[in-house]
This record gives sequence, structure tokens and C-alpha cells, in this order.
Amino acid sequence: MTEVPTGTARGVAVRLNKIQRAFGELVVIDDLTLDIAAGEFLAILGPSGCGKSTLLRIIAGLNAPDGGTLRVNPADTKFQTAFVFQDAHLLPWRTVLENAALPLELMGVGRSERLARASRVLAEVGLREAEGRYPSQLSGGMRMRVSLARALVTEPRLLLLDEPFAALDEITRFRLDIRLRDLWLERGMTVIFVTHSITEAAFLADRAVVLTRRGRGIRLDRRLALPRVRSNELRLSPLLAGEMQMLLSAMEEEG
Amino acid sequence: MVPAAGLLGACGKSGKIRLALNWKPDPQFGGFYAADYRQHGLDVEIVPGGAGTPTVQMIGAGSAEFGIVSADEILLARTHGNDVVALFAVFQNSPQGIMAHASRKLESIGDLLKGGTLALQSGLPYARMLKKKYGFERVKVVPSPGGDLTAFLNDENFAQQCFVTGEPLQAKRRGVAVTVFPVSDIGYNPYTTVLAAGGELLRRNPEMARNMVAAVRQGWRNYLDSAATTNVKMHAMNPTMDAAIYAEVAEAQQVLIEANPLGRMTKERWDTLASQLKELGDIPQAPQADQCFRDL
Amino acid sequence: MKLRKVIPALIPFLVVTLALEWLVRAGWIKAFLVPPPSAVFQTMVHDWPELFGALAKTSTGALLGFALSAAGGIAIAVFLSSSRAIQDAFYPYAVFFQTVPVIAIAPLLVIWFGYGMRTVVASAFLVSIFPVIANTLTGILSTDPALRDLFRLYGASSAATLWKLRFPAALPQILTGLRIAGGLAVIGAIVGEFIGGQGLGSVVDIARTQQRTDKVFAAVLLASALGLALFGFINLLSWLALRRWHASEQS
Repeated sequence: MTEVPTGTARGVAVRLNKIQRAFGELVVIDDLTLDIAAGEFLAILGPSGCGKSTLLRIIAGLNAPDGGTLRVNPADTKFQTAFVFQDAHLLPWRTVLENAALPLELMGVGRSERLARASRVLAEVGLREAEGRYPSQLSGGMRMRVSLARALVTEPRLLLLDEPFAALDEITRFRLDIRLRDLWLERGMTVIFVTHSITEAAFLADRAVVLTRRGRGIRLDRRLALPRVRSNELRLSPLLAGEMQMLLSAMEEEG
Repeated sequence: MVPAAGLLGACGKSGKIRLALNWKPDPQFGGFYAADYRQHGLDVEIVPGGAGTPTVQMIGAGSAEFGIVSADEILLARTHGNDVVALFAVFQNSPQGIMAHASRKLESIGDLLKGGTLALQSGLPYARMLKKKYGFERVKVVPSPGGDLTAFLNDENFAQQCFVTGEPLQAKRRGVAVTVFPVSDIGYNPYTTVLAAGGELLRRNPEMARNMVAAVRQGWRNYLDSAATTNVKMHAMNPTMDAAIYAEVAEAQQVLIEANPLGRMTKERWDTLASQLKELGDIPQAPQADQCFRDL
Repeated sequence: MKLRKVIPALIPFLVVTLALEWLVRAGWIKAFLVPPPSAVFQTMVHDWPELFGALAKTSTGALLGFALSAAGGIAIAVFLSSSRAIQDAFYPYAVFFQTVPVIAIAPLLVIWFGYGMRTVVASAFLVSIFPVIANTLTGILSTDPALRDLFRLYGASSAATLWKLRFPAALPQILTGLRIAGGLAVIGAIVGEFIGGQGLGSVVDIARTQQRTDKVFAAVLLASALGLALFGFINLLSWLALRRWHASEQS
């Protein structure tokens, strides 16, 4: 078990037991059991259609499983889950600051407090100067940072990301990978990161789970033997290559 | 003066002669439907109209060789440079009138303007004559519903423009007794349902016009003698009135139509009309009567 | 908004006007069918008090009818968007607004609303409401599902989701609906005036029976100007509302 890092927030533990989910005739997740430790950075890897996005949505509570149980521990904290989608999905008629503050607004937090908190998080993702701009004036990478800030503004204990950087260029991706990892280190939340990129999974996570096609269960569940603090140098290291090899074989076996 | 070329060609496609009506098939057009055009060497297509059909402009534009208009329309058209000429007047006396609920016990046309609501086409010369003579201060003037009786039946104080041979009979059918005031009561009596053609056509093809008038005259004679078969034909095209009403109207209108010869017009009547319109300010000067109508 | 945009639009107008004037004077087109622009202009000037009074009446009727159909249309669409069942049950009746020929129900309008402004407003309303309903509904229902998920995640009530997400997101579509409704409201007002007896509709109706085509055209031109003004006003609203964030208002 990884030690729970110290910080202002502590993550939750997630237990999935025999989860079943189908869309009509199509079984997407079949009898999936998985334990996620509090404060863990987990990557879920798999080919298209393996149900990884659906699994994430079930964990978020956006979809209900057809069978099986989902338990989150501790269960008492409200709105502890945040979700980052593949596209930033910002409200185009609001400024960057107002967008970042949205979750607090929906939770009923007063205007000056929520804008102040949003401002702080935007600084953490490096967007302080862009506070007053509108989404149409931002680059793709900047929009994704706003989305990230929005997710973090409620100080979530569980952060779910569904291929968030897939649409961005490589350099931006590298930057955001590191930023995300640093934010995780600072806050100690549980992060579940869905991706189809082996490189990204290996670089970001402590533990990687490879799902098979058509949700027929977990092909690989591996603790990654990589340093706690990650930097771009790691990308060229044989350590990373080694881990990637393991993940690659697991993915390839599926064919 | 550059002779104006028509926007459209002379005759319709396939050489048919088009007669444009200014309303739906109706006993007021009975004679036109009863006429045997073939016998007079003519291939005539009768084109029914409806509310607002611009027959006088259709003649001027050449989209119909003949049309049904009223005498005052001809005088107005001529003022605007539209050379339209009257050939045959069906109604010697105008069937234009105003009907009111009998329960109001009105006695003369002037009483209509003392209160209540009056629906008429205020642009028409007779309406303006009424206004000039009696004033519209005490009555509420609204647009004519064009043959629809809903408002009339619903409101006792509602009076509306009509053909004396038409709507009153329908109202009676629906259980409302009416008093009818012909517009001719105020001395305004233009020829109505007049067959007209463009001056150009009369110059180019006087024979065709002559034959047309002869056919129409014969047709009206036939219709006045026996309306039944023609009514059936018209009723099939316009079932908004039932067959019995067709018969009633055909009967009622005879007295306004009968003349010797049918369709005749006189210079005096045209001169009177012209001076009335001049007085109203509709035409700047009265044209020569013989410019307005032709005796064929 | 900019002068540069207005000038290209004026050129065809000027060309057609001059061509028409020449064609009528040369006798190619008969003046009693299409009046020369000079005659229309003269009538406009000579009868200005009457025409302006009529324009004021028609404007009032059209604007009131439009305001009602804007408010009513948006409200109905919001109601329809609240559930699939409600939509299925009531939307077909909204289509009724689109298909009912106003001329046919005119006698009924007069019975219910009497002669005058109320019938005019009713007519303008009936004729212009459907595009508002249809466009608003489409806009509200087309909200980004991911954003709806986001709102759900943070426990937003359906009211909050409607006012903070679905309605603002629908604004471009709503404005499109309003653009269409504006012109229709003018048409509806004029039809109402044929029946109810006032305004530009009445001027056209009376001038027609007097064979005053110049006056008919003058009234029609004023009605078009009214429609254009309303269209321009909505464009202005659109620019104000969308300029910071929607592609349609950004150059």
C-alpha cells in the first residue's frame, strides 16, 4: 500500500465489486472487481471500447451499474468527486475566473469567496493573467488548464480524468502531465486517470490497470517501480521504458 | 405618346380567350356560364376569382382578354392610363347594398350611420359618398368581412355591405331577419358586373369582341329564362352556398338585370357616374362617355 | 452596423429603382401596374401624415405582438423542455401555430378581440410565435451533455441547470428564432389590419380598391422598413449578447 501523503486534503478509497454494465445488447463491463487505495494515482489503460470511460462515469456516479456494488470510503463528504473530460467543456459566455468558480457557485458558495478561491486555483495551474478572458480567446492547452482548475476548486478528494490531454499537442501534454502530478503530490487526493496512451500511463501513475476488450476483466494490475517525483528526464530513462514494455505486452496480448 | 406594350402576350396559351371573374362562381355570373361561346366561334375559358381579384388590372396587363368589373372601376382605371372599355352591363341597377338586423327597425340608409358598427370597403366610391352625406362620427366603421356572416350573425348592431341578392338571403336562412338598403337609395347607381375588354383588343379584333357580346347576351337570356342547369354547374365549382340559395338568388336578381336589349348602357348613366366620381375627387376630370363604353 | 456594410446593400436598391423609373417612363412597364418610383416618392411625401400615422399603428401592433411571441414562445419552449413526456404531449399543438392560416380564422379573431389593435396584436402573435418556440426548444435541448453531467455532479437543481447552463447556451438559437419572428410579426400585424381595420394594412386595402398602386407601394415600402428596423434591432441585441463568446458575432 502506498503511504498516504500529507497535505491539506486526503483521498478516498474506492471499492468496486463485480460491476456489470451493458448498453442494450452490448456488455461493456463484465464482473469487474477492483480496489483503489486512498491517495493512489491510478491509470486505467485499455483499447477503445473496453469500457474504461464507462467505468470512470460509474465511479463518478454519472452512470449506474447494472449489477455489482460501488463503495467509496469515507462516504460522508459531499461533492468530493471532480471530473475532467477530454475536452475542456467550459461555458463560453463566462470568463475564465467564472468558469473556474462554477462548481462553488452550484454548491451555493457566495460570490466573493468563490471568486477568490477560483483565483487561487487558477494561479496554481499558471493562468493568473488570463482570469478575465473568455474561452474563445484561449488556446486548447489553456482551456484544459481552466478545466483542471475548475475540477480542483472544490478541493476534491477524488479526481477523475477521462483522457484529458488527448487532444493537445505534445509539449503542452508534457507540461500538463507534470503539473497534474505536482498537484497530486501537494493535495494527496485519489486520482484515477483513464488513457489509451501507454507513455502517459507509465509516466503519471503509481499503479496501472490494463482492461481487456469488451470489459472482460483486468488483464494486468501493476505497481509501477518509478520515483515519486517525476520530471521530463524520466521520459528518456530505461526505467520508464521497462514499465512501458510491461504495459505494452499486456495491451498487445489483446491484439 | 409611346404606345405601351403589354407585360404579357395577346391571347392565352393555345389561343384560348380568358374571361376573368371578380368573384367565385355565383348567380351574378350566371349568364356567362350559360353562354354557348363555341356557337359564336369562340374558345372561352372562364377564370373564377375571389376576394380582391384585380380584374381591371388583368385586362390592362393582358393576362385576360375580357374581365368582369364595375363601372366605377372602369372610370378609375382610365384615369390611371389603363384603357379599359365596357361592353355589356349585367346589372342595370346596382345590387350593392347594406344589410342590417331587422330588429333595429331602421328606416332609411342614413339611419345606419347613427350608431352601431358598419362594415364596408371604405375605399369604394359609395362608401365615401355615404361619409360625405351623413358623416361617420356616430358609427364605428370597420372593414367588410367579404361575404362572411359570422360577425353579422353574432352582433345585432352589426351592419354590413352586401349584394342585395346575396347575403340577406343567407342571413334569413340562418334565422336572422334583415332590412336591406340598396346603395342606389343615395343616388349612386353604377352599372355592375360589367363585361369589359382592353381598348387595344377592340381595335385589333372588333369581330371577336362583337361575337363575345352576342354570346354573352344570348347566355344571359338563357339564364334568365331557365337558371337550373347553369346553377348546378356553378354550384359544383362553388359549393359555399347550397343549391336552394342559388335558385333564390337567381330569382331575386332578375329584376335588376332585365333590360332590352340585355346589357345595354346609356351615355347619361355614364355621365352621371363620372360627375359623381369627379365630385368625390376620385377622377380629375370626367372622360368622354363614349370612351368608356362601346355598344356592340 | 458599419457604413461599409450598408453601402453594398444600397447599390442594388438604387439600380433597381432607377431601372424601374426608366422602364415605366419609356412605356415598357405600364404605370397602372407598377408605379414609377418617383410617383411612389411623391405620394410618400404628399400623404406623409396619413402614412406616418398608419406606420405608427402598425409598428405598435407588430412590436406588441412580437414582444408577446418572444416572451410566450420562450416560456412555452422552456416548459416543453422540462420532460420528454410533456414534449411529446404538447409540441404537436405548438406546430398548430405554424400551420393555421390566419386569414381563415380572421372572423373568429374579430369576434374574440374586436376591431382594432387587439386583433392586430393577436394576429401578429399567432403568426410569429412558432419560430421562437421551435428555435428556443432546439437550443435548450442541444446542450452539451458533458456540461449537463458536470452540473449533475455538483448537485445542481434542474432550475439552476436551466438558467445557468441550458438557457445561456441556447441564446444564439433563440436569437435566430427572434430574427425570423420579427419579420413575421410585421406580416401578421398587416394581415390583422386587413381584418381589423387600421394601420398600413388598412391603407393598402383601401388604396387597392381605389386603384392607387402608388399608395399601395408606399405603404408596402414602409412596412418593409419596419421589418428591417426590427431585424436590425434584434441583430443589435445579438451582437450585445454574443459578441464576447459566439462565433457568429466574431469576425
